Amino acid sequence: MAHWLPLAPFVPLVAAALTPALARGRPGWARGWAVAMTAFCTLATALLTRRVIEEGPFSYVLGGWAAPWGIELRFDEFSTAALFISFIMLLVLVFSGPYVRRAVPGPRIVWYYTLLLINLGGMLGFVVTGDLFNLFVFMELVAVSSYALIAVGGGRTAALAAFKYLMAGAVSSALILFCIGVLYALTGSLNMGDVAQRLAVVESRAPMLLALAGMTAGFLVKAGLFPVHVWLPDAHAIAPSPINAVSSALVVKLGIIGLLRVLPLFDAADAVSLVPLYEVLAWLGGISIVAGAFFAIFQQDIKLMLAYSTISNIGYIVLGLGLAGQLAVTGAGIHVLNHALIKAALFLAAGAMIHRSGYRTLRDLRGIGRAMPWTTFALLIGVLAIIGLPPTAGFLGKWYIALGALEAGRPGFAVVVLAGALLVFIYFARMLNAFYFRTPTHEEMLAVREAPASMLGPVLVLAVLCVLGGLFGRWPVNLIAPAVGRLVGGG
Amino acid sequence: MAGLWQNIDYAAFVVLFCIGLYIIIAKQNLIKKLLGLNIMETAVFAFIVTAGMVDDGTAPIVGPGATGPFASPLPHALILTGIVVAVSITALALSLIIEIYRQCGTLEADELKGAE
Repeated sequence: MAHWLPLAPFVPLVAAALTPALARGRPGWARGWAVAMTAFCTLATALLTRRVIEEGPFSYVLGGWAAPWGIELRFDEFSTAALFISFIMLLVLVFSGPYVRRAVPGPRIVWYYTLLLINLGGMLGFVVTGDLFNLFVFMELVAVSSYALIAVGGGRTAALAAFKYLMAGAVSSALILFCIGVLYALTGSLNMGDVAQRLAVVESRAPMLLALAGMTAGFLVKAGLFPVHVWLPDAHAIAPSPINAVSSALVVKLGIIGLLRVLPLFDAADAVSLVPLYEVLAWLGGISIVAGAFFAIFQQDIKLMLAYSTISNIGYIVLGLGLAGQLAVTGAGIHVLNHALIKAALFLAAGAMIHRSGYRTLRDLRGIGRAMPWTTFALLIGVLAIIGLPPTAGFLGKWYIALGALEAGRPGFAVVVLAGALLVFIYFARMLNAFYFRTPTHEEMLAVREAPASMLGPVLVLAVLCVLGGLFGRWPVNLIAPAVGRLVGGG
Repeated sequence: MAGLWQNIDYAAFVVLFCIGLYIIIAKQNLIKKLLGLNIMETAVFAFIVTAGMVDDGTAPIVGPGATGPFASPLPHALILTGIVVAVSITALALSLIIEIYRQCGTLEADELKGAE
């Protein structure tokens, strides 16, 4: 059926609008409704992914208005991120049930699910749209719902963290919109394919450079790369854990996917060269890898640790993009997907621990390995994956990026990739030590029970996927190979 | 320089954009930061709307006796959407500011750092 493509982003948006009405007087229905709608999206995106494997990229013309005038939805190999987004969102929603009842004030629970559905619809729309302004609108849907979700749990610092995030996000959005305006003024078109063709013959260099630089900067702020990351740790550590999983695993990736969408526009243009930009990206990525990992080592709070590790991993992805070779970009593309699985597993497992024990620092959580064996085990598999040990999902992306660095004749960056992994290993050792080998700081830790099934289930599924993602790594590599080829070949 | 003089309105919007950005970075009061954000967004909106201008263009209303050239109506439609987004962000930011004031009793960013 041709209509799966528009249905995937619009069903959750419509469902979100209906949620408050549906759950009026029956707050318990909100979660079931959200899970059902997200399951539908997972099915739809799975069918779309199967189609892209069989036929290659395809488009859908909204309302019968042909592109470049109408709005085009385009599903290419990078859009398969939509399947990961829906599936992780589904697991997060299942996990949310018991966690949210404790962490979010009662009247807000319905709004929590409403906002998550808006978030899902925005993300799916963002990865499938072929229109620049549409990209902005979906980005804002994701952003506004994320700002609100950070603050949904309440508490002394939540609103402040959300406000910081809002300021950084809104400034970068304004910058991106400004650059979309510049591109529109230059080309008179908003359809991505059309803009790329028309930019090839545009001669005025300064506005194009402005648009390229502005968009890159805007999307890097959204991705939380090192020098512009200041909003990220607070926002990702203070919110309820399922929200951390969504924002750390999925929302920051939109910045990267935005870059993947925008950079090809300038490929064919003779007036600007992307090479200096790639150089800047590679350096920023390298710095971000080391800085993020370094900050993470010194954190006591387990969620802050994971938030800084996100900065480090975004660094890997940006480094891969910056090296701009077939291998490195493949690594970056793979790591976008695999890091989403790993980070979701980590944040949900940490959430389960915090939910049961009530503590969140390594010191307080000592001895939890004996009290909650399965959750701790899943968390440690996640950490092994984030280090990038061979059989796990994290290995694949880092391996390709390191190979790409060697291929590009930049062994220094390969060393950085390795150094990042070694730094991460230090905090892995700290966690292992605290969870299994130290005597508990709190007596009652041994009486803590394993997480309930609806929380343990999603955590274990993600942990298993962290391993399978490495064992069956050839599939995603082959899947995104054509898209990577287009991206690299054009530049 | 002739090109710059012809596009003097564009230069004005860039200046307005930078004023907004300066306020966001330099001012400590959260309400002022929000005002800076709004100035910035206004600059972007005005820029995109003017980008739809065509020399000697009239309003793009097709009917008997309508002759071109017409101004492009698309930027106006885009910016209507953009304004809706900006309003929702402003509303959300104001509600967050109320919450911050209730919790911490101040809206100055430097004092809030101490309160954290």
